[in-house]
This record gives sequence, structure tokens and C-alpha cells, in this order.
Amino acid sequence: MKINRYQPHVFVLPKDDADRQLANGFLLDPFLLAHKIQVLVPGEGWMKVLECFKSDHVREMETCPHRLMVLLIDFDRDEDRLNRARAVIPDHLVDRVFVLGTWRNPEKLKASLGRPLEAIGMELAKDCREEAYTTWGHELLKHNASEIGRLRERVRPFLFQL
Amino acid sequence: MIRRLYVNNFRCLENFDLRLAGQPSVLLIGKNGSGETAVGLALEVLQRIARGTNRVDDLIQPKDFYLGRTDAPMRFEVELELRAKTYEYGIAFEFHKRSKELRVLEEKLLVGGQPVYTRAQAEVHLAKKVWEQEEEVGFDITWHLVALSIIQEQSPLDPLFTFKQWLARMLILRPIPALIRGDSSQDTLEPSLQVTDFGSWFSGLLASAPAAYGNINEHLKKVMPDLIDIKNPMIGKDSRNLVVQFANGEGSVSIPFEDLSDGEKCFMICAMVLAANHAYGPLLCFWDEPDNYLALDEVGHFVMALRKAFQLGGQFIATSHNPEAIRRFSDENTLVLYRHNHLEPTIIRPLSELQVSGDLINALIRGDVEP
Repeated sequence: MKINRYQPHVFVLPKDDADRQLANGFLLDPFLLAHKIQVLVPGEGWMKVLECFKSDHVREMETCPHRLMVLLIDFDRDEDRLNRARAVIPDHLVDRVFVLGTWRNPEKLKASLGRPLEAIGMELAKDCREEAYTTWGHELLKHNASEIGRLRERVRPFLFQL
Repeated sequence: MIRRLYVNNFRCLENFDLRLAGQPSVLLIGKNGSGETAVGLALEVLQRIARGTNRVDDLIQPKDFYLGRTDAPMRFEVELELRAKTYEYGIAFEFHKRSKELRVLEEKLLVGGQPVYTRAQAEVHLAKKVWEQEEEVGFDITWHLVALSIIQEQSPLDPLFTFKQWLARMLILRPIPALIRGDSSQDTLEPSLQVTDFGSWFSGLLASAPAAYGNINEHLKKVMPDLIDIKNPMIGKDSRNLVVQFANGEGSVSIPFEDLSDGEKCFMICAMVLAANHAYGPLLCFWDEPDNYLALDEVGHFVMALRKAFQLGGQFIATSHNPEAIRRFSDENTLVLYRHNHLEPTIIRPLSELQVSGDLINALIRGDVEP
């Protein structure tokens, strides 16, 4: 059930173990086509995620036009972080790379919603699939609106069994 | 779905309490020798009882007592929920010093909190409904036999039947692909631990639920897109042999099942587990290291396919030492097993209760994940 690099697919690069667990929940969505998405090894820090993206993924994305990439980071209440992250994305890949994450960190989101991270990840996938903003509209997630809109447009046609 | 498994004085499990209520999938992790496989062995004892092994000597040995402590009983208790009913089964074995024989000390089955039968040593008390009145019927049984295998259910609607069938059909898997062949001379819905009877299981599943082929095919097409068909033709009066056909634009090839790679055989087993849970589930699947034999880019998808399928019904318990498999579970469904040394029993703690700094895999590599 491995990824077919010649067909549209998504790689998720999580910032840490908590982000990885959010991504696990996303993978558990019953309508998600698991062979179209792969969650990669956590980066241990948002800077590391960006470094890893630059060193390992830019070249691969250039040779693999069907690949989309989600950088799953924490914003730590830093309003400039999205711009700083976008700055490392080469112009010709901007439309295939998406920067998402919690406004502070996933633990705060977990505490706020009172559910495990996996359960929240499943809700985020459902929102994505149904074009809703129920959980994505949460105080700690709503800053992702533009990125999630862009991502949803790209992945809905192939990532979910609709 | 198992809510609780309690094991005492068996192998490295002493006062071992595994709580699984509300968990469709769970991962057991720990260092080598910490007891993950022993959990599977404990389930296997219960499974073998339900599959008809009734002599105590055929179920356990004196060496199975924790640290050889034959002066205390060995106890297995399972509490599960099936179709909104709770089932509680418990059995305790003792080692009789004078005769140097193993025997049953206590046994009981409760459904919805009401006893179906209780047993103390040789005396069995069967709760029976006669003209809407609860009556107790008693009989004696030799101490060396397990009552659950012997007591006859009255109909397929009898909760005793439901419980025994569920226990018998648990899938406890520790496959050894090199030993798995595709031939079969009979059908079964109860594969062996090493799945060496894969052909019989395939025949049994399709005989009982022909539509299951659709599920098997659907899953396998995702992992082996060039798969065309799995055939199971007669090769003699009473035997069959599985052949797998692959094709692409350039041609086709038929491969005998035993010639598939080890990993491909595991894909087949996974497809059977998913189809079986759909066809005659909800099942419990305990898979000891499901990541064995798989390529790195397959592990995560393989584990997730099982987890997703069991979200819809049944229960999946995996053990693993593989980083990719471990990463596909989360804190609330990962249980850490630990043993200080060979003279102390297994301790179990949810990962969510432990303080793990940074990346879990790095912490495991450092040996820093300890209850």
C-alpha cells in the first residue's frame, strides 16, 4: 500500500511527537485513502522541519510533480512564523507546499478540547473531507484558514473516497 | 471487545491487569523479555480452551508458573463486551503437590453479571432457567478437565455459544511466512498462530462468506496493484492449492502461494484478517510484531489499515519494536511493558502516564521509557 510517486500524494512532515499524533488521527479517517498519504519522521522543532524540507524534499519535489507537502509545525503565538516558513519554500513549489499547525502547541489544543490528539486529528480530517470548519475553526487553529482552504482544494479530489 | 484481561502467576505475568475498555486498537511496547509475547500466550490459553482443549496438562505446564511458584494458583480472567452484553470468564489452576498434577481450582462464566456456571474444584453449579425460574443444577467433573470446553450450549443463541465461539475465533498471530503454504485439505475459521494453515483459512472464509473475496481483493489491489486473481483449484480428491495471478500490459504470471515473498504472504494474512473481521467479526486480533518481513515504506500503511478496520468493530492488539509501527499509534493507545530483571514480574503502564522527553523513538533508543 505504499505511495505511488507517479500519482498525486501527500507527505506530512510533523514538528514533533504531538503533531505526529494529530496526523495519526487524520490517517484514521474512514474515508481517507491511506495509500495517498505518508506521515514522515517527526522533525523535533519547527526549524528542523524547515531544514529537513530544504535539505531532503525540495529536490525530490522537483522530480516528483505529483507530490504535495504539509509542514505541520507549532506557531508558538508567533505571528511571523508563517512568513518565515514560507520564505524557505522555493517559488516554483509554493502551490504544492502547505504550512499548518496549532497557534500555540498541540497539547494546548488537546487540553482545550478535552480529547486525545488522535481524536482531534480525525475531526480535522472529517472537516477537510466535508469542507467544514468545525474543528479547524477552533481558536487555536483558525489562523490556518487560508492554508487549509488551499490544501483542501488540492487534496479533496484524490485523498478521500467521496 | 476485551475490557480487561487479568493474569496471575503465569510466565512473567504476576497480578497483571490489562485494561482495554474503549480501545479498538492498542500497541504493546517494551524491551525484549518484558512480556509482550506472554500476553499473547495468556490469550492463547483461553483460545485453546474455547477451541476444545480440555485437559489442563495440554493447556499449561508446571514451568509456566511465575518463577516456578507452584504453591499459588495460576489465574486467567477475561472480561469482554459482545453485542452490548458483558461476559466474564475466569479460571484458576493449581499444582497438586502430592500427585504432582495440574488441576482446576476454580472456574466461572458470568453473562451480564449473572452466573452461567461456577465451579469449585470438581463441583460445577450450572444456573438453568426452568419454567422462568432460576434453578441450580450441579454435577461433578474431574479436576483435570476444564468445564467450559465440556458444558454444551443449548443453541447458537445461547450466550455460552456466543462466548465460546468468540474466544475460539480470536486471531492470535505470530506468522512464520517461510512455513506458510497454500495447500489445504479442510476448511477452518480458526487459523493457527503461525498461520501455516493459511489455505484452510482461505477456503473456510470463502465457504462461509463468499463475498469476503471482494474485501480480500480490494485490500490486496492496493498493496499489489498488478494482482488479478487468487485461485484455489482442486488438486486431488480432497485438497486444494492457492495460486496467485498477476498481470500488467506486458503479460501475466501465476505464482504458487508458497512462492510469494515473506512480505507478500503477510499482505495476504492482513487481507484475511480484515475480511474475517468483516465477515464473521467482531474479532480480537492479537498480532505479535505485524511489521516483521515488511519493507519500511509499507509498515505504516499496513498498521494503519489494521487500525482503521478495527475502528469499525472488533479489537486489534499489536506488539512491536519497529519505529514506523510504533509511530502509527499514539500516547493513549500505547501501553509500555517493563521488567526490572528476570526475577521480577512485568509492569504495565499507559504511555500517556509516563514522562517521555522529546521524540518517543529516540527515548526508546536511549532506554528512557520506563514505568
